[in-house]
Amino acid sequence: MNRAARRLSYALLCAAGLVMAATGLGTLALGKPPMTHWVLMAHVALAPFFALGLAAVALTWSGACRGGADSPVSGPAQAMLWVVLLCGLVVMLSGVLPMTPLFGAHGQHVLYLTHRYSAIVLTAAVLLHLPLLARRRAIT
Amino acid sequence: MVSEDGKPQEPNASPYSPAKTCGKCHDYDTISQGWHFNADSVAVPPGRPGEPWILTDPATHTQIPLSYRGWAGTFKPSDLGISDFEFVTNFARHLPGGGPGEPDRIKPTDPQMGRMLITGKMEIDCLICHQTSGRYDHEARFNALQGQNIRWTPTIAAGLGVFASFKSAGSIADSWSPGRPVPSVLPAIKYNRARFDTENNVLFQVARRAPVNNCYYCHTSASALGDAQWHEDGDVHLKAGLLCVDCHRNGLDHAVVRGYEGEVKDRPINDSMVLQRTLLIRRDNTAISEEDARKLARQQLQSEAGQVETLTCRGCHTSGRLGSPALVHKGLPPIHLEKLACTACHSGPFPQAEPQVVHTSLAHKLGLPAPERGKNTAPVILEPVFLRGADGKIAPYKMVWPSYWARLNGTHLTPMLPAEAAKTMTLPQPSSDDAARDPYNTKPLTDRQIQQALESFPAEPAKGDPVFIAAGKIYRVEKGVLHSSEDPAAKPYAWALAHDVRPATQALGARGCAECHASDAPMYFATVAARGPVQATNGVRKEMWDMRGDDKTVASFFAFTFHFRPLLKVLVFAAALVVLGVLLLYGLRGLGAITAPASSTGKERP
Repeated sequence: MNRAARRLSYALLCAAGLVMAATGLGTLALGKPPMTHWVLMAHVALAPFFALGLAAVALTWSGACRGGADSPVSGPAQAMLWVVLLCGLVVMLSGVLPMTPLFGAHGQHVLYLTHRYSAIVLTAAVLLHLPLLARRRAIT
Repeated sequence: MVSEDGKPQEPNASPYSPAKTCGKCHDYDTISQGWHFNADSVAVPPGRPGEPWILTDPATHTQIPLSYRGWAGTFKPSDLGISDFEFVTNFARHLPGGGPGEPDRIKPTDPQMGRMLITGKMEIDCLICHQTSGRYDHEARFNALQGQNIRWTPTIAAGLGVFASFKSAGSIADSWSPGRPVPSVLPAIKYNRARFDTENNVLFQVARRAPVNNCYYCHTSASALGDAQWHEDGDVHLKAGLLCVDCHRNGLDHAVVRGYEGEVKDRPINDSMVLQRTLLIRRDNTAISEEDARKLARQQLQSEAGQVETLTCRGCHTSGRLGSPALVHKGLPPIHLEKLACTACHSGPFPQAEPQVVHTSLAHKLGLPAPERGKNTAPVILEPVFLRGADGKIAPYKMVWPSYWARLNGTHLTPMLPAEAAKTMTLPQPSSDDAARDPYNTKPLTDRQIQQALESFPAEPAKGDPVFIAAGKIYRVEKGVLHSSEDPAAKPYAWALAHDVRPATQALGARGCAECHASDAPMYFATVAARGPVQATNGVRKEMWDMRGDDKTVASFFAFTFHFRPLLKVLVFAAALVVLGVLLLYGLRGLGAITAPASSTGKERP
């Protein structure tokens, strides 16, 4: 995959993720969870972009982070990408599964907590990943 | 069975006394602390607002919510100059006795309360709730009460006897002057000898757990009116075989569990309860000191009070009491359980584009003979109206708009009682044809009629200008022109509804999110038109979101986003599938890389 596609997909992920973290984790940090009204709508409105961004990152970055010695991405950055993808997957599924009639009150609550804490880990992983990527700029 | 003076009942004599008869074994003073009897006690917290008594007079188009408990939006009877005696004569039809009907002392010189020396106090009639024979005659009781034969009603209603010769205690009281000796000749009861055994005992067929129909005499809510009643399914709990008292239970103190969350804080443990329990503890443990017994009694009562929370909807369905099914709520995000009361989705009639008219026993005298009541029979009560309660949760409510003539002096509003209003004002009298067809005088007043009525009141600057409150507005005449405007004094009174409970499959939202999150969902966008004796277009009209102070833009936009909900799900699931595929692909490749050297090594070693 070319460099522009990688950058674009990661930018999409970060842009959508930034708003989602601000709305979701911001509400949590302010001690007013869960989200409601405009905050909730902004969070949900950005969700498809985040999902598309994450899928695009998976498609465009996975080859460069498969662990080969010829990769332009550093080892820690490669490892962190897989953490991002894994957490992103958990965040997406725990966000969308409550919209299906599969889980009852307890399951919904577990999904809600899973969404919250996986999002915290995802945010931390992306924040760690960005400087790792910046350190090694020879991404082709 | 004993009379008020504690003597064994004579077959042809005075009425029996429930306080003395039942009270022989069941402490009457403790029972009289119960919710059904303690409304006028200043020591009792008011609790969550409940159904008020509504003083209704079709002739003057008056409907005023009354309550001794001081719930916001109601008037205390004394604020309107209504004595306890007048209150009892108005509402005793559905009062079980006690409270205002049973004052501690009667002042003989009081022209109102003094009448009770003749009519008798209204003792708690235990049989009204606890009889199981099905022979309790509410109509006979009502007729006796119409004649103000108050202390005779338990005997008459229970079918123990009839009036030997019907005399109205009320008419005797009319000819009696307050302060004079009480007449000795009062109505006598001719007892039904077949009900007595040879030792003058009577078998009362009673149950500790009151049958459902006894509760329904006072607590019926009928939203399917007239012949549509047969469509009603009733409450799912009753269909499952429970009784009202399985959840709304009580001890001897008759502090019946109301069943709302947070109720425990409205159930203070008073000295009388502690004393009662202390006596029991010391009876069973003679070695314990009184002080220790008091401490233990308070601890026990506090512990028992905590059990009240397990009898709410949530409490029962999470604790599994009575075999209640556990909460499932598949597909319902947990925030709903924080923002909505259980009743929002499960109780009352299914919400429609407009709330429905509901008749209640207390407001519409259900169970008593009367011309058929219709949709416009006063007081018009609507349900369900979705409001936010004191706990911040949205719940369905019943709602009634006050309607009365009043004097406005500055900002002080003094309602006029129907008799006072009727004395002075001019309202069109319905023709005999109209009266026969419309016995409840439901024809709305026109603006012109309201103005004429207001102008017919004599000018009394000291008392203020005459005004009319109806359908959420205040009407007044200024410089010969009728003005009407929304006014806080005309605000509706609302109380939470909890029954009938619908099964989970018929809960709001069981068929999808759009039942609440659509651009025309009743929860947000049903129109609540204030009802009262004015033309429909004149009343205040608000949508449900406005009734509870929500933001329409938020509600509308949120509903709009649900059009895209399926697309969102498809996109997110597709993206998740891609990410999962990539993770699996490279995960398996990684595993392959780990296992490949071992395999190749194996090949190299034949």
